[in-house]
Amino acid sequence: MNRSIIIFKAVTKNWMRSRSGLFFSIMFPVLLLLVFGAIFSGQGGASATGLFVQNLDRDANEVATSLSTSFIEALNSTKFFDVKDVPVDADAKLYARDALGPLGGNIRILIIGQDFQDNLVNGTFKVRVGISYTTLNTTYYQFFKWNLNETQQQAFEQGLQDLQLYNESLLGGQASLTLMLDASDQSAPTIKNVVLSVANAFNYQMIGAENVIDFNEESVTSTQFSAVDFYIPGIIAAFIMTNGIIGLTANTTEFKRRGIIKRLSITPLTKMDWIVGNVLSQTLLNLMLTAIIIVIGWIVFNVQVIPDIFAVILIFLGSVMFSGIGMLLSGLVKDVEAASAIGNAIAFPMMFLSGTYFPMDFMPSYLQSFAKVLPLTYFSEGLRSAMILKYSEGIFSNMAIVIALAIGFIVLGSLVTRWKEK
Amino acid sequence: MEKVVVEVNSLVKEYGSLKAVNDVSFEVYEGEVFAFLGPNGAGKTTTVEILEGIRPLTGGSANVFGYDVSKREDVKEIKRRIGVLPQEFNALDKLSVKENIDLIGGMYEKKLEALEVIKLLDLEDKTNDRFENLSGGLKQRVGVAAALVNDPQLVFLDEPTTGLDPKARREVWAVIENLKRLGKTVFLTTHYMEEAQILADRIAIINKGKIAVIGSPQELISQHGGLKVLIIRKGGKKLAETLQDKYGGTTLNHNRDVLVKVDDVKEMWQALSTLTEMKMDKEIEIQTPSIEDVFLKIVGRTITEEGELK
Repeated sequence: MNRSIIIFKAVTKNWMRSRSGLFFSIMFPVLLLLVFGAIFSGQGGASATGLFVQNLDRDANEVATSLSTSFIEALNSTKFFDVKDVPVDADAKLYARDALGPLGGNIRILIIGQDFQDNLVNGTFKVRVGISYTTLNTTYYQFFKWNLNETQQQAFEQGLQDLQLYNESLLGGQASLTLMLDASDQSAPTIKNVVLSVANAFNYQMIGAENVIDFNEESVTSTQFSAVDFYIPGIIAAFIMTNGIIGLTANTTEFKRRGIIKRLSITPLTKMDWIVGNVLSQTLLNLMLTAIIIVIGWIVFNVQVIPDIFAVILIFLGSVMFSGIGMLLSGLVKDVEAASAIGNAIAFPMMFLSGTYFPMDFMPSYLQSFAKVLPLTYFSEGLRSAMILKYSEGIFSNMAIVIALAIGFIVLGSLVTRWKEK
Repeated sequence: MEKVVVEVNSLVKEYGSLKAVNDVSFEVYEGEVFAFLGPNGAGKTTTVEILEGIRPLTGGSANVFGYDVSKREDVKEIKRRIGVLPQEFNALDKLSVKENIDLIGGMYEKKLEALEVIKLLDLEDKTNDRFENLSGGLKQRVGVAAALVNDPQLVFLDEPTTGLDPKARREVWAVIENLKRLGKTVFLTTHYMEEAQILADRIAIINKGKIAVIGSPQELISQHGGLKVLIIRKGGKKLAETLQDKYGGTTLNHNRDVLVKVDDVKEMWQALSTLTEMKMDKEIEIQTPSIEDVFLKIVGRTITEEGELK
């Protein structure tokens, strides 16, 4: 154990004095946190989504009708859109493209059709008459027909028939809205849903419907966490992974290439001492990373997340697991460049497919299935359960898998670590 | 009787069909500097690494301090007792000289103070310098210091001066001579003839995995080095012909120097008396054979600066 401690101290000191090591292990994750935090915390004023609106519904004086104007105001009131008017006589696509310029981003246009107001009024009136007829008809035959005498019944039924005929004679109509979006626009589904929600709300308002569903929003956690809080375990997990798979692999391969491992193997140092020393060094590095990320998150974004004992245990287990993978790779790959390339090829897809930066629900089902075989998935879910959700089943089930993987990888890593020449 | 520190019998190391070490036998005695001289790929490092316990042997046997290198428990004991400067020694770049020596020293139960070996290697003013900032010669000295930190009885120095400039090479030679003065047994591998001749008490010339010859430099030179050469500067053709007629073994080079091969002092005096008889006052030089001549005679080729056969 004493030799492991000496290796731990030497390897850690060597790493701490390496600027590139320090940058990629600590500074890079911190920068990423600041970028993610700036995007998702809303700090710095997140901009509204630009939407060009061409209102073709004009009265005889070429003035926009009141209902179409109200609809645009309703869109504006969501604060989701930054509505920009398109002149009635312009080609909306060309106008939007020119207005955005070469780096303007995605073109999003909503066209309010001609006779929007008339169709809305007519359609609404027809719907209201139809509802009245259906209500009277149902109520009459189900509840009070039998309380009326024959003359009264005849009169009521005649009235119902007249109302039905009147409804059929009404023009009705459907107000037209056309939403034009770029297929590659990642915000397209959201924009479509917001416009539809506003249109539906407008519809209900017109026909006089009232809310009968009481909608409430509540957090699943006892503490009020922000979006940045939710990203912190993911960032920590992802960089513990890269420290092991990229950092340790590159370091160990470099030590091997330069004969440092061979020099140590000629002393009484055992292979297990060497591995334990490196795992301890990775654990310290990862605990430092966690502390720095949380302190910066706390100072800059006022995050609430605090790691508990389970998070610390998971960080240790994650360090063992990813050190094992690092040892495995450096044992299998001879030169530093190849080790680095392979480390990156494994680490980066894992980083994006394991739900560390965005939920796995966003991914297609086959990728979700693939994510279930990635070690980072269980590690980051475990950390999230420990740091955010405080969900003991999530902590222990993921911890059990991480323990199994850590044992498996460290055994494989030690098997391929050569302590004797061929 | 000299105490045997390393004993190797019929050692074989095979890589598939290639025999890197082929039936090698030798002994190293306590307190001597023993040199393995040979070109790259001759099997020097392979043999040394088998003796260090980090490379398994294929056949034969090897013992260090009586411990069998093929037994796991014995290897642990060997590692405790030897010091090693591996080929192309490197250490942790960002650690200082002292920190690197402490790192190696920390692996042993019995060890010297880092500052003690630093002083021994005359590295005191570099104690706190980072390894990455040292010159090639200084790095090798750190390597030797690390090899001595466990106060070993036997020190393996594998190609300690390869790639160093002449000044740095001579610095390392001084270190090796100092090791000998300290009573250490030194097992040196090298492809530099001069290095082996100057430093070694005994030399084993190894080529293609086999030891061609083994002995002290003087023994090897006297047995295989050929005759001494008396060089008479600008002696000219007439003198060359006269000496050739009288004693044979005389040649004239392109500088008009006369070269006379002489077997002993008597022959040398005879040649010089001829010079006096002819009333010729010329500059005289006696060239004695070297290990290079021995190597050339035994192997048929010499070794380049880079360690390749030429």
